[in-house]
Amino acid sequence: MKPQFRETTPAPESEPKAGSVPVPVWLFVALGLLAFWSLRFLDASGGGFSPKVYRPYASLASVAALQPKSEGDVMFASGQRTYDAMCSQCHGPTGLGDPTRMIPPLAGSDWVATASPGRLVRFVLDGLQGPITVKGQVWNGGTMPPWRDVLRDEEIAAALTYVRGNKNWGNSAPAVTPEQVKAIRDKVAARTAWLPEDLLKVPETE
Amino acid sequence: MNRGPIIFLGAFSAMALSWVGLIVQPQLQLGLAPQTTNTINPVELYPQARSGLAQQGLQVYRSLGCATCHSQQVRQDGTVFDVALTSLGTNTAELVQAVQKVNPALSPAEAGKLVDMTPQNVLAGVDKTTADAAVTNLSVGGAKAAVHLVALGPDLARGWGNGRSVAADYLFDQPSQLGAQRIGPDLANVGLRLPGRTWHFHHLDDPTAVVAKSVMPPYRFLFEKRKRGPQPSPDALARDGPTPQFDVGGTRTNWTSPDALQFDALAAAPGGDEVVPTDDARALVAYLLSLRADVPLFERPLSVAPPMPTAPATTAPTAAFPLPKP
Repeated sequence: MKPQFRETTPAPESEPKAGSVPVPVWLFVALGLLAFWSLRFLDASGGGFSPKVYRPYASLASVAALQPKSEGDVMFASGQRTYDAMCSQCHGPTGLGDPTRMIPPLAGSDWVATASPGRLVRFVLDGLQGPITVKGQVWNGGTMPPWRDVLRDEEIAAALTYVRGNKNWGNSAPAVTPEQVKAIRDKVAARTAWLPEDLLKVPETE
Repeated sequence: MNRGPIIFLGAFSAMALSWVGLIVQPQLQLGLAPQTTNTINPVELYPQARSGLAQQGLQVYRSLGCATCHSQQVRQDGTVFDVALTSLGTNTAELVQAVQKVNPALSPAEAGKLVDMTPQNVLAGVDKTTADAAVTNLSVGGAKAAVHLVALGPDLARGWGNGRSVAADYLFDQPSQLGAQRIGPDLANVGLRLPGRTWHFHHLDDPTAVVAKSVMPPYRFLFEKRKRGPQPSPDALARDGPTPQFDVGGTRTNWTSPDALQFDALAAAPGGDEVVPTDDARALVAYLLSLRADVPLFERPLSVAPPMPTAPATTAPTAAFPLPKP
C-alpha cells in the first residue's frame, strides 16, 4: 500500500500582532534631558579630553592655577635628581664613594673643589680610568663610564653643580653652567677614558 | 533582497568607530607622549631613562609576576593647601596680629608660640584662594609665607607617594606593570619610600625578617649560597645572624660595624658559607629603587618644599608597609 502524504499545507494564518501604541512623548523629553545632563557633566568634569588633566582636576585652567613657583636653586635641585639617578650607584647617595669597590669619594675631594670645572667636565664626558689620588689616598676602582651620549649638557651641569656646591658634603666650589659643558663637549672630540695624568696636563684655569 | 553592502558598511563603521575611539585617539593623546619638562625646572626632563640594570630588573619583576600582588598606580581624590610661615621679618608683634587675623581660631598666646616655632603651618587644608590671600596678609614687616600643595586620598594617606600617577610615569616601562590588585602595597614610589638597597635584599630573601606581618613569599632562589673566599663578597647576607633592623631611610641599624654588609659576611669565617644576591636580585632591586615619581609636572602639581609636619588628619594607617622599629 502506498504511503499517503498530505500534499496540501494548511492555509497560512495571520501572524499575531501587538496593538500599535504610540511612543509616549514624555520619553523623548526625558531622554533629551538625560542627554543634556550627561553632556553638561562631561563638559564640567571631563577636562576637555586633555591629556594634561587628571582627576581630581576638572579643567586645564584649574590645573594651570595650581602650578608651583620655583623656590631656591633650580640647578642644585635638578642636579640632586640627576646625581641620585646616575651617579649615586657608585659614588654613594652621600658622596662618600664606595671603599669596598675602591670608588673615590666626591665629598671633600680635591678633584671636585677646583675653581674651574674643566677637568671635571672632561672626565664626566669621556670617562676615567687608572688609579687616581683623592684626599691623599690612591683609588683604583676600575673605569668610570663616559656620559657624553647619556646626559645632556644641562644634566651634566646640574649634577656637577650639586656635587661641587653641596655644603652637606663640605664642598663649596662655584656652579657649572650648561654653556661651560657645551664648550668642552664641542672642543674635545669623543675619546677613550681619560687617565688622571693626562687630565693633569689640562690647565687648571680652564 | 540583497542587503550585503549595507550590512558590510554597518559592521565596518561600527568597527572603525571603536578603533578610532579606543586605539587612535588614546594613541594621539598619550601614546606619542614625549618626555615631559618639569614645571618648576625647565632644565630637567621627566622621566629619566632607567639604567641598564634597572631595565633588566623590569623584566625580572615581570617574570616573577610581582604585578599580581603589587600595583603601580597612586590615586588622588583632592587637593588642599597649607600656608606656612617661612621667615619672620622684623616686626614680630605685627606678625602675631597678622597670624591671628589669618587664622582667627588661634588665641594670641597660640599665635605667638606659632611665630616662635617658625617654620610652622599657620593654616592647613584650605583652598587656593584663601591660601593666596593669607600669604598676602602675612607679608608684614618683611615676613614671608609659602603655600604648600597637599594631595589627598587614601593611597596618599598610606604614604604611597606625593601625588597621583600620570601617564608620563610609565614612559619607559615596557610593558608597564600597572597591576590589578593590592595583596601587597603599591610600588609606584617604592624607590622614594624605601631607598635602602640592603633592606630590599633582606626583604626579598626573607620578608618576615624585616616586616613581621608580611604575606609575601620569600624569594630565596634569587640568592646564592656559596663558599666564602679570603674576602667577603659585597652585599653578602647572613641568614643566621641577628634579625636585621632598619631606620626609616632603609639603613641597617643593629650593627656595631659602620659597614653592615662587610660585617655580615665577616661573621662567617673564611671558607664558610655566605649568601650572595644573584644578578637577577641586583637587577630587581635596581628597578625597585628606580620607581620614584616625585617630580612636579604640569599635570601633577606638587609643592617643591615638603609640607610642614602636622598631626595626622585621618585615621588611615600612615604606612601600610611599616618599617620595624629598631
